[in-house]
Order: sequence, then structure tokens, then C-alpha cells
Amino acid sequence: MAGLELLSDQGFRLDGRRPHELRKIECRMGVFAQADGSAYIEQGNTKVLAAVYGPHEMRGSKSRGLHHKVLINCQYSMATFSTGERKRRPRGDRKSQEMTLHLKQTFEAAIMTQLYPRSQIDIFVEVLQADGGNYSTCVNAATLALVDAGIPLKDYVCACTTGFVNDTPMVDISFVEESLGGPQLTVAVLPKSEQIVLLEMASRLHVDYLNKVLKTAVKGCKDVYVILDEVVRNHVAQIASSVGSE
Amino acid sequence: MEEKKKENLKRICIPGQRICRADTSNITGGKGTYTRQGYICASLAGYIHIDRQEKNSVIHVKRGIEQNVVPEAGSIVTVKITSVNPRVCKCSILCVEDTELREPFRGQIRKEDVRSTEKDLVELYKCFRPGDIVLARVLSIGDAHSYFLSTAEDELGVVISISEAGVPMIPGSAEMQCPKTYVTEPRKVAKVIPEHIAVEKKKA
Amino acid sequence: ANTDVLVGVKAELDAPESSQPNRGRLEFFVDCTANADPEFEGRGGEDLALGISSALSQAFSSSNCLDLCSLCVLPGQQVWLLYVDVLILECGGSLLDAVSLAVKAALMNTKIPAVTVNTTEEGSSEIEVSDDPYDVNNLEVSKVPCIVTLTRVGHQFVVDATKEEQACSIGHLSVAVTESGSLTAVRKTGSGSLHPESILDILQTAQEIGINLNQQLVEKVKLESSVKKDRRGFLT
Repeated sequence: MAGLELLSDQGFRLDGRRPHELRKIECRMGVFAQADGSAYIEQGNTKVLAAVYGPHEMRGSKSRGLHHKVLINCQYSMATFSTGERKRRPRGDRKSQEMTLHLKQTFEAAIMTQLYPRSQIDIFVEVLQADGGNYSTCVNAATLALVDAGIPLKDYVCACTTGFVNDTPMVDISFVEESLGGPQLTVAVLPKSEQIVLLEMASRLHVDYLNKVLKTAVKGCKDVYVILDEVVRNHVAQIASSVGSE
Repeated sequence: MEEKKKENLKRICIPGQRICRADTSNITGGKGTYTRQGYICASLAGYIHIDRQEKNSVIHVKRGIEQNVVPEAGSIVTVKITSVNPRVCKCSILCVEDTELREPFRGQIRKEDVRSTEKDLVELYKCFRPGDIVLARVLSIGDAHSYFLSTAEDELGVVISISEAGVPMIPGSAEMQCPKTYVTEPRKVAKVIPEHIAVEKKKA
Repeated sequence: ANTDVLVGVKAELDAPESSQPNRGRLEFFVDCTANADPEFEGRGGEDLALGISSALSQAFSSSNCLDLCSLCVLPGQQVWLLYVDVLILECGGSLLDAVSLAVKAALMNTKIPAVTVNTTEEGSSEIEVSDDPYDVNNLEVSKVPCIVTLTRVGHQFVVDATKEEQACSIGHLSVAVTESGSLTAVRKTGSGSLHPESILDILQTAQEIGINLNQQLVEKVKLESSVKKDRRGFLT
């Protein structure tokens, strides 16, 4: 591989983490007043904002409405200054459209869609700074925003991107680790029921290693879950105390 | 009236968390819960509330703040009439039960759903005017455009109507009268039971 | 409701415009995110975004706002192109004013890497951009304007209008004011009409407020950059 050593002989990564260590995750729920639910999350230097609107009446073309369940409408966009090289357009490119589709599929599996027929839920995610693992950070942010909006979920959705270097899986890879090639596995799981709702792999990986990488990725998702869980519990308690619970 | 006891276990639960086994016959999951693999699980982040009734207890998960609702078949909604034509009257749904919606949903009251008797003699112009506030029940989620609503019950129909003189009119049996000009206008008036009004006022 | 905007400035080396070979370039890009309003989804926010970016370029069009000549590296060949990217996250009124403040603050914070130009033996020039993060130049922003919008509500004019005030107003006058009090741009928006006399009054008020606003902003940004604090995201 390129000149950079992604994993030192002592087992440390470029940013000093061990292979199974996540980056520092910090988040806040309810950052915007005008949205029904919102959240801001930082995973290392990857910073994402998510807003959720709904459930509300179908917007735009009525024909998109579904008779038996809610329509989940997503939009993934990246700030033009979020990447090292300036992006020309915040959304509408192939990559964003793919991300939008993935988000939609991921959350269709988690939201109890049958409760709101003929309505719509909007999930908008905005990447403010991109430093690897954009998709997983967006999923985590959107989960928090959905919980904040009070939309019934079967479970949380936690996501984690994992790389594989020198026979070692590395969780929550950063931009540098991402850009040096090598296989990348993104998974989103429902941590309580251990169901995988999204699985995507780029580049080449021997099938013998797949299980090992997948296991590490799922472990990473569960670590994310522990953090999100604490944030949500604090947030619920905070709301209750500010409203003055009955 | 059966005695209802409300209990507030100060316990936070989060989506996906198991609350209790679902197979015990005296407990059912209510709002904010769902059943998976024989367990009642939470689908919202909030506090657990248990409504204890004689035989059956219902578990709810409630958040501190109110949340978005959508009209469901059977629920009572408060609507504002937006347009009337001979066949159908269009309206926007403002409230579902006690919850005010953040943005209105579209609904319509068809001619045959205005009242339960003499359905064929209904003339929509003599039942509703644009701007009226009407109580109605959701019949079904309707076609692709709007919910179908019905006022075919005594308690449903127009509750607030402003006369041409700009003052709220006083309801009669099948008409409303303007207290300023004494003009009467025909309406499908809701027979709101006076006690209910009193209760509402006390609450507010 | 709050108004939240985020501004990022990126500098790139690029060819100058042929009409102005020895001046750097400034480009504004505004993105109204769907976070602010679901109506802005897809291309829904483009009209508003275009309005804001054109108002900004108008306010910065005066040649002495930002010293674009200092952004020139090699006349006619390479100049710095500053992309000012505005992200609108929440709109609760007085959007343009907030955007202009954020743009000025972002420009104050902008650091341009030092560049040395070496002439090779064949006479062609080589540009060397310093990669030392401390070998940087700041921009001169003392003449960068802030925009003050006065909104007509009834017969009165208000500054920093809320969304509700804007909704019931028929006319707005946006004035770009520099720290010294000179006006670089004036634009009237909205469907109503304004009387010339009231416009003169507005200009005077806007000038006073604008001077104050500029000073406050500079102080605030200086304070912000001097205090080293635990940064926990930019929304806290």
C-alpha cells in the first residue's frame, strides 16, 4: 500500500486509535425549533446535522403516497465546504442520490411505517464536514432526529464503517484510511434484535475474512448504540423535567 | 364507570427496549409499543405509563411533549370548510381529537355523508359554508387526495360559523342566527351537549 | 424562531477574469438546506438562494470593499479565487442580515497561504504555495459591509425583523454599510412602495445601526478567537 502506514507495528492507527476503537462521538438532540425532530452529531471530524419533519400530509405530487404505509422521503446533501476539495453542488450528484436511496431503505426497515398510511416523513441530513464514514454518521444522526421527533421505531439504527488492513479490521475509519483504498464494509444494524438493515462493501476482500470484518463492524455498531442510548435517555429526562412531568 | 388508576413508573425506555412479556393475559401494549417475539417493546423514547383497569392493564410509552398525529379512521376531527359544491364539500383538518396539527390535512365531506336520514334530500349549500368550523368523524383514509369525513351523527356538524356581519352566529336546531342582523342561515348544526362545553371551559 | 447560518470560505488558485487580470475573484454560493424548511428540498430553495447571493455580490461589488488586488498572484495567470459558501440551516427572519454578518466573520477568519513566485531560467513562472499552517495572510476586512434591513410594518420601520413581522410587511430596504459608515449597496425588495422621504430616514438609521453592528461584530469575533475554549460543535 501507499507510503503511509495505516497500522503501526504496535497496533496503533494514524490517529492513535486501536483498531476496534471508535472516534469520539458527541451529539445533541433537538437543535432546531422548526423541525419536528433534529440532531447534530460529531464522529471525530465528521459532522452531520439531521432534521425530521412529519408525519404530515403528502407534499408535492400526491400520487407518490402509499395506501398502506407512510412514505419516507430522504435527502442527503453535503455542504459545499465540507470536503477537502470544494464541492460544486451540495446535492443531486450520483453519490448523494445513492446515499439518499440507502437512507430511505435503511429507515423503512426501522420505522413502523404501517402506522401512518398516506402520510409522509421527511428525513434531511446535511454533512457539514466530511472526514470518512459519512453514511454511518448520517444514519446515526437520523436515528437521533427520529427519536427526537417521536416517530415510532422498532429499534435504533446504528451504523459503522469498517476497513481492513494487514489482516486487521478497523472500525469507524476516517477519510485518510478510506482514501488509501482497501476494502470498506458499511453496516447498519438494529442493535437489540441484531438484524442487519444495510450492508455494503466496496473493493475486494477474501470471503474467509468477511465474517471477521462483519463481526467487528457489528461490534462497532453496538458501541455506537451505547453512546446514542445514553444521549437519548438524558434527553428524555431533560424534556420531562423542563415540561414538568405529570 | 370503572375505576381507572394511573400509575407512573418513573422509568425511561427507548425504542426497541423490552418492557415485559406479552403472553400474560392481563397486559396489553398501547400507544408507543409493539410486540416482538412475545415481548412488548417500546417504539418511542419516553416514560412508561400503565393504565390499570379491572382485568386488563395497558402499557403506554409517553413523551413529555406532544407529538405529531395523523387522522385515523374513526377519530373525531375539527375541520374548517374551504369550498362547497353540490356534490362534495372540501375542508382542511385542523385538529385530531385533542391534538392540534402542525399543518392541516385535506378532507372532504360527501353529500351522502352529511346526515344519517333523508340522505338524498341533502343540499350541501344549506349545510356548510366556507369558513365554518365543523366537527366530523373520519370515515376512511379516502382516495389519493383527501380523507373522507362524515357528520352523520347528532353531535357532529357546524360548531362555529361567522355571519356576514362578522359575528359568531348562535346555533339553532337546523339553522344558525346572527345576533346582530337576526338573519338565519341553514346549517347542519352540531348538537353539542352543554355539559361538554362546561367541561372544556373548566379545563382551559 | 432563530436564524442559523453557516459560512465556509475556501481559496483556490485559478485564472483571473480577462477583464480584470490583476484582481482576485470572489464567488458567493448560497444553499438553502431542507433542514430550514421542507419546501427547500431539491431545487425548492434556489430562488431564495439566488436572491441572497446576488444581494451579497451586489454589496461586495464596490471595488474597495475587499482588496481583491491583494489576492492576485501572477497577473493575468493565477489569482486566488475565494468561494464564500453560505449554508442556511434555519430561517427565522432577517436572513440577509444574518448571512452578511456571518460572511464578514468568516472572511475575518480566513487565512490565505503565503505564495512565492519563482521565475525559472526559461522565463516561465513557478508558483509555490507554502504548506506551513502558520505562514498565512489574513484578509483585510475593515471595509467589508454588513447588511442592515429595515422592514416596513404598518407605518413604522423595524430592524432585525422576525418572520412574522416580515410576513405582514409590504416592503424591505436592505442597506450594506461598512464600519466607517459608507453605504455600498441599497436594494428594495417586497411588493409595496416606499416614499423617498422615508427612504432618506431609513438610510440614516441604517447607517447608524450598521456602524454599531460592524463594531460589535469585530469585537465579538476577536473575543471568540482569543478565548481558547472546549469546542463542542458549532451549535452549542
